[in-house]
Amino acid sequence: MFNSKKTLVASAVSGALLMSGVAIAMSDKPAEGAQTGAFVTPDASANPELTGVRGYPENWREIVDAADGRYLDAQVVRTILGDNTRQRLVEKMDPTNPYSFEVHDSIDGGPHGNMQCKVPEAFVDVWERAEANYFNDTDFVAYGYGTPIAEEALAVWSIHVDASGNGLPSNDVGMNVLQGGDMYIQFCAVCHGEFGEGARGYLPLSEGDPLPLVTSDFNDPAPIKTVGNYWPYATTLFDYNRRAMPFWTPNMPAIGDAGYMGITGYILQMNDIPLDDQGTRIEDDDFFNAEMLMQANKYMPNAGNFFCDHRPVIANERCMSDCPDYMVGDGTGDITNYRTAFRLPDGTPQYNVEERIGVDAPGVGHHGH
Amino acid sequence: MTDKVVEKVAVQTEESRSQSRRAFLKGGAAVAGGVMFTQAASAREIQFDPKRAVAPYAGREEISTVLQDQSARKALGWGVRQYPYGMPSPFEKEVQRRTLEWLTPDSMASITMSPLQSLHGMITPNGLHFERYHGGGININPDEHRLVIHGLVERPLIFTMDDLKRFPSESHVLFAECPANGAMEWKGVQLNSVQWTHGMMSCVEWTGVKLSTLLKEAGIRPEGTWLIPEGADASGMARSVPVELAMDDCMIAYAQNGEALRPENGYPIRLVVPGCEANMWVKHLRRIQVTDKPLQHREETSKYTELMPDGTVQNMSWYMEANSVITYPSPDFKMQGPGRYVAKGIAWSGRGKVDHVDITFDGGRNWTEAKLTSAVLPKAWTRFELEFDWDGSELLMMSRTTDETGYVQPNMPQMREIEGTNNVYHRTAMVTWKIHAHNSEFGGMIENVQF
Ligand code: HEC
Repeated sequence: MFNSKKTLVASAVSGALLMSGVAIAMSDKPAEGAQTGAFVTPDASANPELTGVRGYPENWREIVDAADGRYLDAQVVRTILGDNTRQRLVEKMDPTNPYSFEVHDSIDGGPHGNMQCKVPEAFVDVWERAEANYFNDTDFVAYGYGTPIAEEALAVWSIHVDASGNGLPSNDVGMNVLQGGDMYIQFCAVCHGEFGEGARGYLPLSEGDPLPLVTSDFNDPAPIKTVGNYWPYATTLFDYNRRAMPFWTPNMPAIGDAGYMGITGYILQMNDIPLDDQGTRIEDDDFFNAEMLMQANKYMPNAGNFFCDHRPVIANERCMSDCPDYMVGDGTGDITNYRTAFRLPDGTPQYNVEERIGVDAPGVGHHGH
Repeated sequence: MTDKVVEKVAVQTEESRSQSRRAFLKGGAAVAGGVMFTQAASAREIQFDPKRAVAPYAGREEISTVLQDQSARKALGWGVRQYPYGMPSPFEKEVQRRTLEWLTPDSMASITMSPLQSLHGMITPNGLHFERYHGGGININPDEHRLVIHGLVERPLIFTMDDLKRFPSESHVLFAECPANGAMEWKGVQLNSVQWTHGMMSCVEWTGVKLSTLLKEAGIRPEGTWLIPEGADASGMARSVPVELAMDDCMIAYAQNGEALRPENGYPIRLVVPGCEANMWVKHLRRIQVTDKPLQHREETSKYTELMPDGTVQNMSWYMEANSVITYPSPDFKMQGPGRYVAKGIAWSGRGKVDHVDITFDGGRNWTEAKLTSAVLPKAWTRFELEFDWDGSELLMMSRTTDETGYVQPNMPQMREIEGTNNVYHRTAMVTWKIHAHNSEFGGMIENVQF
């Protein structure tokens, strides 16, 4: 396990969508530091700084080609990236890594730019097909089955606001944060709580766990992730509120752009998002508009923690017999150390049968029992 | 217990025997009629030993009661068009999509799982395709629905559904998998059914227009590097798709398994992003804006991003990694005593074709290659089977796939060590079915366990 700064989170697991509401069943034998032979167990305190170019073999593309384009093959990955899986995670921002997605700052030079993740160079097959279907299809002539439409005709439909701020309403559209709070109470609090604490099982919007969201132990509860401690962009909040909320009647004219701006300001305020290096906070009488949103967008506390997909991180050989311990059982070769699901009250393993709590009718294809 | 496939001695029919004779006489392969001959037999000397072949029936009690006709034999059935749109037999009524109410506070932003334990072959019937809603299911009138492509294009275009069907079409069998498939199992196991462990996915034949065709039709400009597809439902679902993915093999589908898309799956049109997170497959698609910046929508920042143990977060993780699961025997079934079994399952990879599936019976030490028993198509479910003899002892069964890129599906301890336990998405490591020993307390039960 990662012996990095251990943040144990005692808060109750909340009903966040599809994951944190999940009750976890474990046997009384938690896997103590499952070890794998193939990977160096990292010491997070020793994480080296990201230091630019790493010197992957320049002929990496030839290595991929020599393996018939099998770019995720254990041998190929190792030849190109080296052996240390954990190191690859650390190097996740490295643009020279042929498996890494390019990252590019595009919010006026700020530290938390709109990340331009790209399909890695190593995914040769994707690039080849894109070339054939598009970049090199010089003969294409349109079929003419569509109808031309002016951009103006899309004024109502074009609701998206990207993380660089494109699509935001002009700076005169907005409202005092206090007023925004009133609108929030009226339209949102019933499900998300007056202070964003969440209500009736709906997601909280603030009061997440303190950063960093390090969960170093198998038994650490799932952190509560909210706007303040998880979301990398403030623009997302305006985009999403206006697009999809309030849940039952989204994109409400009664709220309007000004109202959605004010509500967004209020949610950022309740999450203590700073506006500058000095840590200036959003005040009740601030007129919250696109400009202030873009200021907050640069200071989202968790933004620096996001990185583009860097898989594969695990590059195994296809072992057929007498496989090494790290491929067996709990990762040490022990096949008696496992967790089971909840048992029924009488101690029997649950089955897809009626007695199963909270689940409808007996299961399908159930034989015997 | 023996995990090696014993020499196959099946019960032969008269027909298969004569077929094999014919095959041999024609100089063909020594495999015919489903029976494998390990040595070439000459045309005259047949080495098949009928006594040995039927040995497993020896000593079993015969049924001697005279079989009576059932009611179906004695009365006429119904006429044609009784069911203008056919439904499954009423006896199959337990084969359903299911959900777990405690997963979400609301059924309009929720998910159902496909009953994988009851599915056969590589195609999911339309009525059993898993559902994922972010703003409830809707019925859209196709005459009123439009698709617009605009932004960084030479000529913004609007299409009716009829317009779209005039374009050249393609059909592909592709799996659609929610990146949260298996999410409940990051910290141990929860429930005993493959419906719950792997049911957030389905595999159907999608028919539609290639996205690259439509984008070329509008004349995408060189600075257009991202696509923002958007849906017409209450959630206004949107994602960011890089132009390379879009030009690779994306489609705008109007049909699944030969008929119009089901409302649950995006009627009248949806985006298909083969091999990638099904959340990107925007349903009820109405707008694609070509841009030079990703959107960073809530569904690619707050959700569908993977929290690592060190507090960093992986995002834009589009591809679904190679994965596999044994659907039989699996926890919905029970072993019927020692003897011959055929393990069956599904394997798939978001990066292409499945190359191999191997099965272990001893928790990962030794593996036997399974047979691929369906068509092997890229980014589609592939069926596998392996015969084994169960001697009644405890088994720890897992399946492991290797895809055409060479990627080998890892086990759970490896994945957990690197990705932690609060990652939520892309839990694509192997699962383990424990077969309780025949003579043990829960003899023959099949339990979901996690190393
Ligand atoms: C009827 C209950 C309800 C109301 C009222 C409501 N929401 Fe929501 N909200 C939801 C649900 C359900 C989701 C999750 C939707 C999904 O997963 O697709 C959600 C998600 C969100 C999220 C994303 C949270 C996250 O961590 O990803 C934000 C932000 C949000 N709502 C803001 C608002 C705002 C602002 C309002 C008022 C304008 C509002 N909501 C009103 C039910 C509600």
